[in-house]
Amino acid sequence: MGAEVPKIDFKKIDGSSPGYYAICAIWLIICLIGVYAYYLQWIYGEQLTGLNNQVPWGFGIAAVCYLIGASAGSLIVSALSGVFEKEEFKIFSRSAAFFAAAMIVAAMGAIFTDIGNPANSINFLIHFNPTSIFSWNAFLYSSYFVVCVVYLLAQFEEKKFLTRCIAVFAVGWAILVHSGTGGIIGFIYSNDFYHSSLTVPLFIISAIASGLGLLIPTYILTFKWTKREYDLDLLWTLTKIMGAMVILLIYCFIVEGFEKGYMPASHEAFLRMITSPETPEVYVYWIGQIGLMLLALAIMLSPFRKREWAIITAGLLVAVAVFCERYTLVVPGLSYPYDIFPGYEVVKPFHIVPYYPSWTEWAIVLALFAGAYLAYCIGIKIFALLPEKAVKIEKGEVKK
Amino acid sequence: MISRRKFLVLVTASAATLATGKALSIGDNGNEHYTVDLSEYKWGMIIDVDKCTKCVLDIMKKEGIDDIEKVRPPCIVECDKANNVPHSDKYYYSLIRLYMVKETEDANPLVFPVMCQECEHPACVEVCLTQASYKREDGIIVIDLHRCIGCRYCMIACPYNARRFLWEDPKELLKVVNPEAPVRKHGVVMKCEFCVWKIDRERAEGKEPKPVCVEACPHNALIFGNLKDPNSEVSKILRTSKVLTLRAYLGTNPKVKYKLWGD
Repeated sequence: MGAEVPKIDFKKIDGSSPGYYAICAIWLIICLIGVYAYYLQWIYGEQLTGLNNQVPWGFGIAAVCYLIGASAGSLIVSALSGVFEKEEFKIFSRSAAFFAAAMIVAAMGAIFTDIGNPANSINFLIHFNPTSIFSWNAFLYSSYFVVCVVYLLAQFEEKKFLTRCIAVFAVGWAILVHSGTGGIIGFIYSNDFYHSSLTVPLFIISAIASGLGLLIPTYILTFKWTKREYDLDLLWTLTKIMGAMVILLIYCFIVEGFEKGYMPASHEAFLRMITSPETPEVYVYWIGQIGLMLLALAIMLSPFRKREWAIITAGLLVAVAVFCERYTLVVPGLSYPYDIFPGYEVVKPFHIVPYYPSWTEWAIVLALFAGAYLAYCIGIKIFALLPEKAVKIEKGEVKK
Repeated sequence: MISRRKFLVLVTASAATLATGKALSIGDNGNEHYTVDLSEYKWGMIIDVDKCTKCVLDIMKKEGIDDIEKVRPPCIVECDKANNVPHSDKYYYSLIRLYMVKETEDANPLVFPVMCQECEHPACVEVCLTQASYKREDGIIVIDLHRCIGCRYCMIACPYNARRFLWEDPKELLKVVNPEAPVRKHGVVMKCEFCVWKIDRERAEGKEPKPVCVEACPHNALIFGNLKDPNSEVSKILRTSKVLTLRAYLGTNPKVKYKLWGD
């Protein structure tokens, strides 16, 4: 090895200010509202959701896909220094790995709160179906959490070689986990809206975009509020990576859109989905997914792009846009019924069922996000996750 | 005070234990008690679409109903009653759903009752996380209610929209309960199982088994039988008639077929 490696001082935050406690209290209150909503759902069943027998998956499953993606994206950011030898990003490696672990726990929480019979959820663990990609994923998610924690542990111990090895493994595992999640949707051959081999790579790209979209504003605000010196150029580099992912995503949407529109079996449903206000999906697609991504790109290309507010806004817009993308991936394929009788011009009933998430679904999903952020707030107080200074350290500059 | 390292080790060990426990359980499907003596059967059904169409159109005319979804022919009424299927204003739970289709807008309508198609290669069984949905040796796809976690992935995968999730507590919606059929709670998925509880009993009694809908049909439009028996009525019809398989291109190979043309 020989070369001197820059040493970064990771320090716990003080976490004794009223502001810190106020932020924690806000997350906690959102969590408690979510717990109450889930309690009601437990008692009265999933009739409290906006779901039905035509649209049995909705906001909760969109949140599962999103949280897993954000987790995978965070881990890839964490591994930038370990895998790609981008030492300047080492300052993010611990906190991003912690964030990845928190997000995967939230994702598993989203699965748990979405299932109708949670009392039987232990069957996840004791009965394995080797032909079910979701069953494999349950194993991948739990093991992915272990990988995140081991990776974090290796970083705490400052074992450089071990950290690098685990980082390589962790990135591979994150890609595997997210490919598997994409497969849950993309391999459903009975539904023309779902069935697409593009879904798996699209999930990976979305994962990196959403992970960065959440991490960038989180870092800037954390560094500001903990009065840490930080280098905006580093975050701008992450923003550029996020921008590249957004461009790739838009390219994939165009390809996917043309493919769905080209196929006679799905083109009418696809055209209605993107043009007709029969369901809220048209707004989610154009405003939430495409609109916000284009707006984020416009900000990233504008003369103000290197300003703090611009970077924060672009990150948040991408984070929300990717959630909308997850939503349009899950819901329209169910709202617009597939054709059981191909070849017949008239089929009744043929209902386009609009789906509106209920307040309980919103409360539960927001609580899961709040839970991940509460864990992050507590984590940076009890573990040395954040660098004392988030600035570029030149090689050879060894700190004592 | 627990140290940071110990805390992380404990968390990792707990998660690893769960992951390992899961991995060790591969191959344990626990369904053996269902598979005894079933291999000589393969249950199938043939539905005479002309007879179904006539029956449903007559009911619509007699009762002045325009909406096909509001028609409740005897097969649906008796199926719901016998299988403890709740009736709700908010959700459609019946295990059979009627579809009215036309070749063109001005063509004569055809009515297809669609229930679980009991596929040879069932997508629902393939995707079920916990093997709660499984195919018996006689080809019937059943749901183990004690295993079903209510994830609804099977509903997403089913090419025929034949599965229903119990969003409400059925006990509050059921007026009469058939103790022989499963009584479900909310949060699980249900589907047509060819009245497996009745079929198994009748087979054990040496009778010719028939699901409730087949017995309830006043027009003999639903023919049920053993596809492995060349002398069964279903086998004879399959040899001599042209039948339609729904979404045959998917390769799921359903065992419910639709007879569209007369003999």
